[in-house]
Amino acid sequence: MTASHEIETLLRETAEKLLREKKVNLFLGYEKASLPFRTAPLFLTAPEDAQRLAWNPFCSANLAVYLPRLFKAPADAREAALAAPPTVGMVLKGCDARSVVALIQERQLQREKLVLVGVACPGMVDMLKAQRAVRGCEVLGAGEDAQGNVRAVVEDGTEVTLRRAEILADACQECRTPMPSIRDIMLGTAVENKDTGVARQRTAEFGSKPLDARWACFQAMLSKCIRCNACRQACPMCYCKDCLLDQTRPKWVSAGSDISDVTIYHLVRAFHMAGRCTQCGACARACPVGIDARLLARKLSQEVEDLYGYRPGEGIEATPPLSTFAMDDPQEFLTEPSLIPAPYHPAGEAQQGGRAQ
Amino acid sequence: MTEKRISHTDLEGLLGRLGERGDVFAPGKDEGGDVVLMGPRHDGPVALDYRNFRLSPKAFLLPQNQTLIRFEDGKAQEPSVPDRETFLFGVRPCDARAMSALDKVFLEADPPDPYYAQLRAKTAVIALACTQPVSSCFCTSVGGGPGDGAGADVLAVELESELLLRPRTAKGEEVLAFLGDLLTEATPAAVKEADERIRAAEDRIAPVKIDDSVQRLGHAYDSPLWEAAGQKCLGCGICSFLCPTCHCFDITDEVRGGTGRRVRTWDCCAFPLFTLHASGHNPRPTPKERWRQRVMHKFRYAVENFEQVFCVGCGRCVRNCPAGMDLRTLLKTIGA
Repeated sequence: MTASHEIETLLRETAEKLLREKKVNLFLGYEKASLPFRTAPLFLTAPEDAQRLAWNPFCSANLAVYLPRLFKAPADAREAALAAPPTVGMVLKGCDARSVVALIQERQLQREKLVLVGVACPGMVDMLKAQRAVRGCEVLGAGEDAQGNVRAVVEDGTEVTLRRAEILADACQECRTPMPSIRDIMLGTAVENKDTGVARQRTAEFGSKPLDARWACFQAMLSKCIRCNACRQACPMCYCKDCLLDQTRPKWVSAGSDISDVTIYHLVRAFHMAGRCTQCGACARACPVGIDARLLARKLSQEVEDLYGYRPGEGIEATPPLSTFAMDDPQEFLTEPSLIPAPYHPAGEAQQGGRAQ
Repeated sequence: MTEKRISHTDLEGLLGRLGERGDVFAPGKDEGGDVVLMGPRHDGPVALDYRNFRLSPKAFLLPQNQTLIRFEDGKAQEPSVPDRETFLFGVRPCDARAMSALDKVFLEADPPDPYYAQLRAKTAVIALACTQPVSSCFCTSVGGGPGDGAGADVLAVELESELLLRPRTAKGEEVLAFLGDLLTEATPAAVKEADERIRAAEDRIAPVKIDDSVQRLGHAYDSPLWEAAGQKCLGCGICSFLCPTCHCFDITDEVRGGTGRRVRTWDCCAFPLFTLHASGHNPRPTPKERWRQRVMHKFRYAVENFEQVFCVGCGRCVRNCPAGMDLRTLLKTIGA
């Protein structure tokens, strides 16, 4: 795999050229943030600013979240005449590419207005895991060594090496397609996509707990929620103009953090993500109180995969299950809950057992 | 009343004594290993090795969900007022200072906010001076400091083997008098050690050049930087909800038939709904205007209204922004 600093050089050259030749109006990338273990999104318009672009183990944000805003449908003819949609260049990893594909499929983006610069992703660092690995020491700076591990300088001046594999984000450990499935330009060498099996393993591990224990886990996790909406706002697939959770007439969910409202909030999001979530991990990364919203989203994605053989964002030609219908679609889940044999396994006895009458 | 001291080993006893009078919250490790303001506590170790809590303690005075009125069978009832005292031990000076800012909004208003006033009157804050600031801290640039006692009733300073307790208010003196026999008089050496520790912490906090940002903001309403900030902002409420001074709220009635409640919940200027009019018009239609409001409110309007910047430099918004935005960077450059 190509080293990060080489990718960074290539990326700067590519972005500079795209902007200088006016192939794009805007280039979306990452730049160094003021604190270690993270980067900030960078909206580049001037070719000479391309030197600010960074490529390092902390480029975890899914920049696809910004795209629907840039391609927002004009409110009226006047607005449409004023501003044509921009041409946007963007650096993207496997997960970002999955989101871009899903957004194109959902008609939120115009493919011809995008110049996609792909990088085979070695997996990005989870900021919290990195901070825990230095045991809460204040980190003055962090970078990458020749092996792709993270070198951090802590407050007393000592340098520590954090093995990348151990501080990778959960979503990155589970990632099956680190290669961007859609791209116009590829930087560095390709990597082979392979299923690590980690996602299934984690779901199975949680699923093996008794029902009471699972419920207790959810309640404990959700009781920490402060309803800041960060999981929704960081999600590229949450682009609804008027979110159900924000509606006031009628008001479906209270704005507060009472457990019933919080539970509804997270269930609504999870259900709206079934067959759409690209498993980028943006929700978990954004959460200020450590809620893993992926726990539900991952399980629902696996259900959709088992039922329809569909993986969101992995192929632009595939048809998302929510936008199609076939006479032989499995529909056991339409069954009255009381008729579902417990425990419900989509691949197991449920498929013979509980058809709706 | 003069300063007192207590040995580290007697701290649990001190909190136990306070527990006889009210609910005590003190730093403790949660299941994830994070130190949070935990309670009401009974016994067990107090964790003193923390920088600051992930969430600000403002929720003790301004709960995220606060029932103002209950409706039953069509009749309104005031909810019962808490009669137990609350003791908050280990609040950092930045967060205590934020409470003094909230006091200006809710207590010095005419009329004062009764819901806030009830909770504030029943709460005693024993702040713990900061000895381990982090790089995102900037309290010294916004009028505070690691040994600042504003908003606190008692300021505690952790020394080598004991804690120095400095009363800051009449309530603080009363609390120390109540703890009387557990405490000993502070020695000049202890006072000296406390001052040295606070000074050492102060030296570790990098100053941010923002003392003239209040003036600069006066002619920065149309700055292009708002657009740049709004472009990156995801529109979540992390910065507001974690901020110890943000205090905007919404009030809604949750009623079914004649039964329900009127509830006050935290609100946030980054949310599209915040200024949405019933007509559908929104005077702050994009993140650009919302970001400008957030900064202007804290650093300009608050100064005009309360003669105080509504930022205490705790750094939570800097540490937790999912878009990696740093308020300090904007403040340094805006209107310059």
